[in-house]
Amino acid sequence: MSARLAYLSPRRGRRAPFDDLAPPHTTVESVHEADLATLPPDACQALLVPMHIDQRRFAGNAAWIDAFFRAGGTLVFNGLLAYPFRPELRIFEPIQRPGLSALHVAVDQSHPVWHGVDAADLTFRRGVAGFYGRGANPPPEGARIVGTLARGRVPVDWEWAVPGGGRLLMHAGNDLWMYARDDTSAAALTPQLLSWCAHGRARDAA
Amino acid sequence: MTATIVGTRLTVLDGGTSYHAFAIGDDSLGRWYDRRLYVEAADADALADSAVVVVPCRLNPDWLAAHADLLIDVLRRGDTLVVMGETEPERWLPDADQTPVPTNFWWWLDPEAELGLTVGAATHGLYRYLSLADAIWHYHGHFQVPPGAVSVIDAPEGGSVLVDDRASWPGRLLLTSLDPFYHHGSFFMPAASRFLRGFCRWLGDGLPD
Repeated sequence: MSARLAYLSPRRGRRAPFDDLAPPHTTVESVHEADLATLPPDACQALLVPMHIDQRRFAGNAAWIDAFFRAGGTLVFNGLLAYPFRPELRIFEPIQRPGLSALHVAVDQSHPVWHGVDAADLTFRRGVAGFYGRGANPPPEGARIVGTLARGRVPVDWEWAVPGGGRLLMHAGNDLWMYARDDTSAAALTPQLLSWCAHGRARDAA
Repeated sequence: MTATIVGTRLTVLDGGTSYHAFAIGDDSLGRWYDRRLYVEAADADALADSAVVVVPCRLNPDWLAAHADLLIDVLRRGDTLVVMGETEPERWLPDADQTPVPTNFWWWLDPEAELGLTVGAATHGLYRYLSLADAIWHYHGHFQVPPGAVSVIDAPEGGSVLVDDRASWPGRLLLTSLDPFYHHGSFFMPAASRFLRGFCRWLGDGLPD
């Protein structure tokens, strides 16, 4: 079975920064953010959205996004949500004046994307904390919380089975694939994310 | 010297990113602009009455390259253009000569280390609104200072991370490689927030000398 993943690029002509890490029989296509609506909503299993997109424009594609979910698509959204693209979503809530302890990441390693990833390797890059996340995009009811900050109080990562089909993986921070070239357990996150996108719930099971 | 711009329009462009939303929309920065203009609505008519146009950091360089004439026209007609970091002005703004530097996120882990930025023109009006310490987080490049222009903040490599150029164009160009909107709007760098607070207050006051 082959899978097709799409990376939503804010820059024209740029490849996905992780397209060499996709599992076998999986293609990663870069789609410019202005061209999203030209893509058939059922053409790809997953859409991976980076933090630097024009979120206002993305939210303007709400009907397309809804059709994508109804076709069983997986949306991976990175960044601080400023323009909710579904009625269940709310804008980013920062941790107020975070101290170092509030920036400590905890993850549920039973989730296939975070399997074997040591949370300390997400918290610190060369000893500096804060890259992973500094707050949360509030989860809708029924979402599975996968990653937290501030001793479990701030849901920085969650997965949500979207009513009507599809799934949304939310990460309220810098792009998850920023760790892809790190020399730590966090490097596993990106290939696991792509595998999860490619081999997740089949479209026709939605 | 600087014409007063009180009562005229200051427009800030908005690229629709999360950090533009949170930084430009931050009421705690005060009422420093007259109009927030989403890039999809930005055309010559929309910018015609602006005495100051601000291109915030990390506004999509592809958009800027495709709409360079709009912004260059601001300078040609004698108005003020503010261009901030990570917008690749060397691609779309004539004579913007930027040397990128590898971003050092980690310099402060060594207690002996300094980022190396220093005060350029000490009497520049911006320094009544912020201090050099507020500009110290990291930087992404430095610019050649054109003849007649002033470096407000010098880079250790030579060149400037904040150039005030009233010589090259009929208008005034403020060009910086710093990216405070991005960091403030990403809740990720207290110095950048202090810089932005002072910088926006200075803009709102009409860029006084």
